[in-house]
Amino acid sequence: MDLAFTPEEQKFREEVRAWVRANLPQDISHKVHNALRLTRDDMQRWAKILGKKGWLGYGWPRQFGGPGWNAVQKHLFEEECALAGAPRVVPFGPVMVAPVIMTFGNAEQQQRFLPGIASGEVWWSQGYSEPGAGSDLASLKTRAERKTIPGKGDVYIVNGQKAWTTLGQYGEWMFNLVRTSTEGKPQTGISFLVLDMKSPGVTVRPVKLLDGECEVNEVFFDNVEVPVENLIGEENKGWTYAKHLLSHERTNIADVNRAKRELERLKRIAKNEGVYDDRRFRDEIAKLEVDVVALEMLVLRVLSAEKSGKNSLDIAGLLKIKGSEIQQRYSELMMLAAGPYALPYIHEAMDAGWQGDFPGGIANAPLASTYFNMRKTTIYGGSNEVQRTIVAQTVLG
Amino acid sequence: MDFDFSDDQEQLRDAVRKWVDKGYGFERRRAIEKSGGFDRAAYGELAGLGLAGLYIAEEHGGMGMGPVEGMVVMEELGRGIVLEPLGQTLIAGGILGGYAPEAVKAAWLPKIAAGEALVVLAQQERRARYRLDPCATQAVQSGNAWSIAGAKSIVPVGDRADAFLVPAVAGGKIALFLVERQAAGVATQGYGTQEGGRAAEVGFKSSPATLVTPDGLTALEHAVDIGIAAACAEAVGVLDKTLAVTVEYMNTRKQFGVAIATFQALRHRVADMKMQLELARSMSYYASLKLNAPADERRRAIARAKYQLGVAMRFIGQSSVQLHGGIGVTDEYIGSHYFKKLTQLELAFGDTLHHLGEVSERMQDTAGVFA
Repeated sequence: MDLAFTPEEQKFREEVRAWVRANLPQDISHKVHNALRLTRDDMQRWAKILGKKGWLGYGWPRQFGGPGWNAVQKHLFEEECALAGAPRVVPFGPVMVAPVIMTFGNAEQQQRFLPGIASGEVWWSQGYSEPGAGSDLASLKTRAERKTIPGKGDVYIVNGQKAWTTLGQYGEWMFNLVRTSTEGKPQTGISFLVLDMKSPGVTVRPVKLLDGECEVNEVFFDNVEVPVENLIGEENKGWTYAKHLLSHERTNIADVNRAKRELERLKRIAKNEGVYDDRRFRDEIAKLEVDVVALEMLVLRVLSAEKSGKNSLDIAGLLKIKGSEIQQRYSELMMLAAGPYALPYIHEAMDAGWQGDFPGGIANAPLASTYFNMRKTTIYGGSNEVQRTIVAQTVLG
Repeated sequence: MDFDFSDDQEQLRDAVRKWVDKGYGFERRRAIEKSGGFDRAAYGELAGLGLAGLYIAEEHGGMGMGPVEGMVVMEELGRGIVLEPLGQTLIAGGILGGYAPEAVKAAWLPKIAAGEALVVLAQQERRARYRLDPCATQAVQSGNAWSIAGAKSIVPVGDRADAFLVPAVAGGKIALFLVERQAAGVATQGYGTQEGGRAAEVGFKSSPATLVTPDGLTALEHAVDIGIAAACAEAVGVLDKTLAVTVEYMNTRKQFGVAIATFQALRHRVADMKMQLELARSMSYYASLKLNAPADERRRAIARAKYQLGVAMRFIGQSSVQLHGGIGVTDEYIGSHYFKKLTQLELAFGDTLHHLGEVSERMQDTAGVFA
């Protein structure tokens, strides 16, 4: 038992740190450190820098052009990126769809899609949730019917609607769970289909959320023709593939590295606002501090188990619950630190370089919006109540 | 970064678990509780396994092991809610070995390791609560001899121990002494404690004392931190068992024609208990792995751990009683004894609010395990 990283791991961390420091554009890290609005260009600029280094697909095996890192290395990479103020890698391409294509796609699909994902050139979106299918994802209704069209060959005609498509307004390609059969259990009639979002019949409508931003979208499919070559794996096996994808979400779901960065920011904000020495407020920060350490220890235990293959820990649900609660809590405390000065809503004040007068200081401008935005974390990715049900299943049977 | 136990550590765990399972059943524990809350024979069996010498160097007859082994042993003793205070012996071994003059080590450590001498920390004073620096007990030197006068409170097995580690003020500064229970002027008044154990009020009147170290506060803080790490590990063992008996009960107890484990409100409470258990286990590891760190870093880590463990102990303890329903509040059922043990451990060496204050005081700009 040893808390310290090995000298090799430490060396790896230092290499990553040096590279990130040298290559992360300062205008981007400034925005991240201050919770200012990131543009599509900001996110993609960083994705392409990572892509050029071969690190956008940082979880990929070597055979697909990835670095072939182990679980600890991936964690250290994520940590160094987070602490340096890098934007989170938009996960839909490199983290979510790529492993499915690698595992279940054919060679042609791998050659066609993976390079654009690895380089950061192509923006992918996710089409899972629907208005009637949230936590009960298998009840999804978007239909894909196979037809032969003279002159075009075999296609799927897709009709339906996807909901909560994060950053879908920027999306170029989209991976979807679609219903190809209504026979048997709901899970057995689902297929995994990728489509070009420029296809006729695809409509993307941004949805304004409570923080005033359009982070998610509704995506409508009206007789969209999708070539059958875009089916990943076998028809009606999509649910299995999606579950495989979720199993790739292990420790990074906890987002503990970002929590560390944001806890440090919370302390700075509390100092500036004069509440750091208020005993009641400071104790709330202290509780969060312990929460973050405990979550980090939990993450390290999972990583250690993955590294050694002993004492495997099936606690992804716990990581999701605790990680999301912590995200909500630090955003809440930041807002409370600012108090009344968190209330003015000046949309432009969240853009970098805004020169106006924000009551109580510009640092307060995004605090309430971030707090509102973070309500999503206990809802998405399987709500925390669903996670509790899963955890209880592992304990009680 | 590695949280696997070595083969030797697993063997140590197995040995202690075997003793707990075969040698320290609920009936024996109940009998010990009835006869005063401490059994020298049971303590002797622990010493027979080598556990009393865990933190004592091999040259002094001990096993020369470290905090991870201490943690493994305490987890297993927690699973059996063992009353005999091995945590105190870990403190004595660690502190005498780390701070005492060679002659004191040579005189005491072999006896402690063999289980012949039980040495406990007599630190608590009335009205001091969890603070370590208020100390009314005084030490006086005449020639080479020391004597102390004062009173200590709630000393673990105070009327059955063979000697005490006693902080006392010498020349305006807290020093740490060793005082034998049989020494002149030592008076004890023993009583049972809520969780079934034993403690005593201990008075000293010009009692002859041996100086362990003049830098008493440093040693005392270290002693308490060894005690906290041991308490955290012991708590993890109790928590493990508490959740296990709760799960077993929920799967057998039927109401409305079905096992109560089928009710979602109850299931979600169990999920929250599992969360607290794993956070507690993680922080117990953290405490033990930081026990040999420099004092500042160690104190900060220990406070974080004890806070987290305190939250977990209270939540899991109370939830277990609630999920059991009526049987959970009976003395007959083992679950209520786990709950009382957890309550005792929360209040030992600083409760949750106290350690929240410590975390708050010691907070730095940086965050995380390595900060």
